[in-house]
Amino acid sequence: MLLEVERLDVRYGRNHAIRALDLELAEGEIVTVLGANGAGKSSLLKAVQGTVKPAAGAVRLNGETVTGWSSPKRVRAGLTLVPEGRQIFVSLTVHENLQMGAYSRSDNFDREIDEIYERFPNLAARRDMLASVLSGGEQQMLAISRALLARPRIMMLDEPSLGLSPILVQSLFDLIADLNRDGLTILLVEQNTHMALQTAHRGYVLELGATVLSGTAEELLADDRLEEAYLGGN
Amino acid sequence: MDLSQLPQQIVNGLMLGGVYVMVAVAFTLIIGMLNFLNFTVPALFMLAAVLMWAILEGHGIALDLTAIAVLLVLAMMVADRLQQARLPASVKTVGALGLVAGACVFLWLILSFKPGPAVFAWLDGAVGASGRWLLGIVVAFATVAVLSLLIERFTYRYMKAKYGDATEHALPLVSSLGFLIVIEHTVISTWGSDSLTTESPFGNASFELGPVLFSVPQLLSLILSLAIVFGLSVMLKTTKLGRALRSIAERPDTAPLMGVEVSRIVPVVYVIAGLLCATAGILFTINYTTVDAYIGDTVATVAIAGMVLGGLGNVWGAIVGAMLIGMVEVMSIYMVGATFKKIPIWGLLLLILIVRPTGLFGHTAIGKGKF
Ligand SMILES: Nc1ncnc2c1ncn2[C@@H]1O[C@H](COP(=O)(O)OP(=O)(O)OP(=O)(O)O)[C@@H](O)[C@H]1O
Ligand SMILES: [Mg+2]
Repeated sequence: MLLEVERLDVRYGRNHAIRALDLELAEGEIVTVLGANGAGKSSLLKAVQGTVKPAAGAVRLNGETVTGWSSPKRVRAGLTLVPEGRQIFVSLTVHENLQMGAYSRSDNFDREIDEIYERFPNLAARRDMLASVLSGGEQQMLAISRALLARPRIMMLDEPSLGLSPILVQSLFDLIADLNRDGLTILLVEQNTHMALQTAHRGYVLELGATVLSGTAEELLADDRLEEAYLGGN
Repeated sequence: MDLSQLPQQIVNGLMLGGVYVMVAVAFTLIIGMLNFLNFTVPALFMLAAVLMWAILEGHGIALDLTAIAVLLVLAMMVADRLQQARLPASVKTVGALGLVAGACVFLWLILSFKPGPAVFAWLDGAVGASGRWLLGIVVAFATVAVLSLLIERFTYRYMKAKYGDATEHALPLVSSLGFLIVIEHTVISTWGSDSLTTESPFGNASFELGPVLFSVPQLLSLILSLAIVFGLSVMLKTTKLGRALRSIAERPDTAPLMGVEVSRIVPVVYVIAGLLCATAGILFTINYTTVDAYIGDTVATVAIAGMVLGGLGNVWGAIVGAMLIGMVEVMSIYMVGATFKKIPIWGLLLLILIVRPTGLFGHTAIGKGKF
């Protein structure tokens, strides 16, 4: 397994956000994590990336336990997170945001930046402008490109489709499938259940920090309990 | 009023502004990145100025203070290593106790034998009194650099570790005030609170250009200060470190996702800010030859005014603001007398803030996107 999460517990004071959660991600997979607001999806990704400390449990990357590692160290080990709300640096230019993505690397990444500009002409046109001028969709492209520049093995995305128009949502999921075809392993947190399950191979449904349902995408799509998890989740 | 003196006064104002610029930029770096007003900045300025004075005047005890500062920081670093090491808790406890005991013994040795004067006398003999200013620079830089690490730990890092949020700025502000008081009183208990005067190691080297008299050390200081600040802003703008600093300033929680080791970079910022203050302090002693334990307070209020005037957290704003304040100060001493010099400075500040609450070059959102 490329990524294993074992009996993970995340607590914020008395608030128990993740409860003894198990999750596996094999090389080359797209796995989606679904759940209502407050189910603990972001907390899971943050604990895997290392920005919140789990109260218990283990995270293993390629068999190696990384639970005590800082998040920069996990980035260098090939794990990257596109956080909820994009979180691009609006006081930096578009180009500088991309350079920040490659911060952990010491080799030359000019060609990769050129490829990104080819793929997203909108970013190329705004290369030297502050990232604050970008539209929501462009910001999401920048956030994903920035994460790609770290040359990750696993990319985790936290609700990337939030706030995008239906056409952009479609092209976003196409992009995710593309990246996966090129060999990137993906852990995708989504509210857009239907689109996520059409793109992913497998899925987990969380409720109050625990898995209530898991299986292949086809199984989940056919399961009535999926809807219940959303209605009963809060 | 004798208008023929005006060009001279303008030049004097620029020179004084040069000192304020470095202190204002030191404030700006910390407030821009970490969103808190660091009151140790003026204390470090004053300490460097006084240490420079002490060495120029042959007070070897300054070396003892340096030794104590270095000792404290070394002990702190060893304690860090110890805490992170994979050792049984009992071994760590014994190690920590040993460390504290060792540090106390060294402290006691330094305080009771005061080796500084003897070491100084030996160095002085080797280098000669005319080279004291070089030793002064080394002592002031070393002390301020290591103290900056100590201060970082107990203002920023402590908050981050304890509460996971160092942008909660009331507490670091208070602990930095604590450092200010400790440093001031260390100086007062060593050398008293009166004016301390010395002679410039460079004499009164000067040249005339038309009606204006330029002091060579002052002119060199101004050039140096502008060069340093210019270099710093180029660094912020174009280098990888600069980008990392700006990303931390905007989103301290997102920068680590890019692989930025925030906890390693923040001490670097403290040291850079500290060295700016130290440079300003050293130049102050050389140029104005009179210091006391309270010069930090004066310079700080003026530098803060300059920083606010230019726009909080903006390096170029701090430069223009500080130069402007330096000018206003010298001009108002010249026109209305030293007693009232504060009225024009703070009057100007109030006026500009009423018209432009963000300062001359400030962003509207204070604390966001600051460089
Ligand atoms: N920093 C925090 N401090 C305290 N409680 C938190 C914190 N972050 C999240 N929580 C709590 O943990 C629980 C899970 O939050 P989390 O953000 O992981 O949910 P989520 O599934 O990502 O929700 P959403 O779909 O709204 O993004 C919630 O009850 C939330 O209130
Ligand atoms: Mg979330």
